Amino acid sequence: MAGILIGLVIGLPWLGTVALWLTRDENPRFQHALAVGFSIAAGVASLVLIPFSSAETAISIPMGRYFGDLTFTADGLAVSLAAIACVIGSLAVIFSVDYMHGEAGLSRYYAFVLLFIGAMAGLVLSGNLLFMFFFWEITALCSYALISFHNDDPKAVAGGIKALIITQVGGVGLLAGALTTYVALGSYQISDLIANTGEMPAGLLTLVAFGFLIAAAAKSAQFPFHTWLPDAMEAPTPISALIHAATMVNAGVYLLARFYPAFEHVTGWTLAVTLVGLVSALVTAFMALTATDLKRALAYSTVSQLGYMVYAIGVGGVYPSQFHLLSHAVFKALLFLSAGAVIHAAGTRNMLRMGALGRQMPFTRNVFILGALALAGLPILNGFWSKELILEAGLSQGPLWAYIGMLLGAGMTAFYTFRMTWLVFFGEAREALHVHDAGKAMKISLGLLAVGTLTTWLLAGPFGEMLHETLPFHSIHSLNLSGLVNEIFMAPATYIALTVVALGLVIFWMVRKQATSQREAWTDVLSRESFGFDWLNRQIVAGTAQLASVLQKTQTGVLSWNVLAIIGALLAVLIYLVWSA
Amino acid sequence: MILDPLNVVLFGVVLLLAVGFYGLLITRNLVKIVLVLQVLVKAVVLALVLAGKHSGNLGLGQSIAATVIVADTVVAVVALALAVQVRRRAGTLDIAKISTLRG
Repeated sequence: MAGILIGLVIGLPWLGTVALWLTRDENPRFQHALAVGFSIAAGVASLVLIPFSSAETAISIPMGRYFGDLTFTADGLAVSLAAIACVIGSLAVIFSVDYMHGEAGLSRYYAFVLLFIGAMAGLVLSGNLLFMFFFWEITALCSYALISFHNDDPKAVAGGIKALIITQVGGVGLLAGALTTYVALGSYQISDLIANTGEMPAGLLTLVAFGFLIAAAAKSAQFPFHTWLPDAMEAPTPISALIHAATMVNAGVYLLARFYPAFEHVTGWTLAVTLVGLVSALVTAFMALTATDLKRALAYSTVSQLGYMVYAIGVGGVYPSQFHLLSHAVFKALLFLSAGAVIHAAGTRNMLRMGALGRQMPFTRNVFILGALALAGLPILNGFWSKELILEAGLSQGPLWAYIGMLLGAGMTAFYTFRMTWLVFFGEAREALHVHDAGKAMKISLGLLAVGTLTTWLLAGPFGEMLHETLPFHSIHSLNLSGLVNEIFMAPATYIALTVVALGLVIFWMVRKQATSQREAWTDVLSRESFGFDWLNRQIVAGTAQLASVLQKTQTGVLSWNVLAIIGALLAVLIYLVWSA
Repeated sequence: MILDPLNVVLFGVVLLLAVGFYGLLITRNLVKIVLVLQVLVKAVVLALVLAGKHSGNLGLGQSIAATVIVADTVVAVVALALAVQVRRRAGTLDIAKISTLRG
């Protein structure tokens, strides 16, 4: 049964890809309906899969000697991420019905969205490292194709290529880790790697661990690869919500969580993970403080929240990190989609041109505020519970300096979240924008996500239970709901965190004049340049281009030279063979 | 034995290779290039059969040779079709004149 469902979860969206690829753009209603149908079917299949979760391999297809078996395992970690991908995927597709209304190229758009949903489900369900890498690369390709969806806009094309290049660096890390595993253990099976880490030579295990850390950091836009995500915001907003907030960027966190038991004893690995999470969370929270582009501000906050999850894994809190992943996927998709409704109506992403939009779009304002409260970590929304769990795990198991850093991040999160909300929906109207509230399809997906933001924390008990039962190598400390409520409200960490969040709000209220002014301060310049990392990226690209133009000299385009080189090489090989014989 | 059948065939392979490479070096006509590439591939086919015989896997060598012949025929057909198009559009078959790939 689980096998059939896994087939459906991956197969249905891919079938939809083929179907939509074959449609023509003459009948957009049919295309919308087809995409919504396939994505909802996949979403339902992924939800039905949840009760069937187990640690056993559900499907095993022999793929020949060199690839090992293509296996799929529906354990708790995998089914929860597959469900997030498929359900939020279908909500993003429903939202697109309004958002992409009247756009050309819908067949390409939906085909890539559905290809992405299927690949994301395959990535988390796969039990074979090599095939996981294939799915990983398919998601990167879809991300690239959808960022550059408006392929007549040079900024969109540049953003897509930047995302593709930087995530490729991560892909190489993952491939290197997978191949090293095969060399050491003779198997690509994830379960073999986790169970037999003791048999691997320490040097090789370190290589795999840090290869995977690079892969995770590049995919999740963590420091020092955090520069691609803000530029990826040229994508249509449902894509930003689905790929760059709720699912693909979580793949890195998933990778770290999945292999935590294998790598936790590798020297320096947990410290490196903690540091990556801490630096990402702080640096991007700082950049979000001054962002003026609504989607970029949300992108910075995504990197920052992903930093929280990475940090949680670094201090050993796999369950808090996955719980925050679930909460974040829901409330950040809500924030992005309501931002999409605003952008769709206002026709600009610049927050300094908005203001006082709340009166004209009350529904969007209300759900955005709900998402913002969850992002800031205020009770009783889902973001509050999961962030408190992370901070508590950080206080009890992690180094104190990292905990203080993350607390500072929580305060900054509250500051930029309220600055964002204030700039868009409140204050005085800076420009006379005539906007309309979200359309019907938009309201459906926004409403469902708002309900999710209010309620997903109630799933904490069953979610922890599922992880505990189906992940034999992770020692998951699961809590039921009343235990969670008790633990959160009894812990001093909660009150410290809430104080910091309140402090962030108070500081925002005191400096709101400066924080929302048009004048450029030194903080703006620092943020725009990503603390110099954008400069570094440009230098690397320029260096590569320069090397290419030097090597271009060897391409004469004259056939005779090429043939001469071939004959020369052949002779050299022959002489070597004769010599060594 | 210098006149061992294996050696004779090997000599044939080297001869065909030499003819092919020589032709590739001196010719500038696109159709002639397709032709000398065919000569080169024939050397490879012969070498495959020879290697099969030499290693005792004659069947394997022959079947790979047959595969190469099929694939190579396709290549030749496509290359000649391209040459026809090049002649029509560029008005010449001289590769030095149609080459735009310059460093």
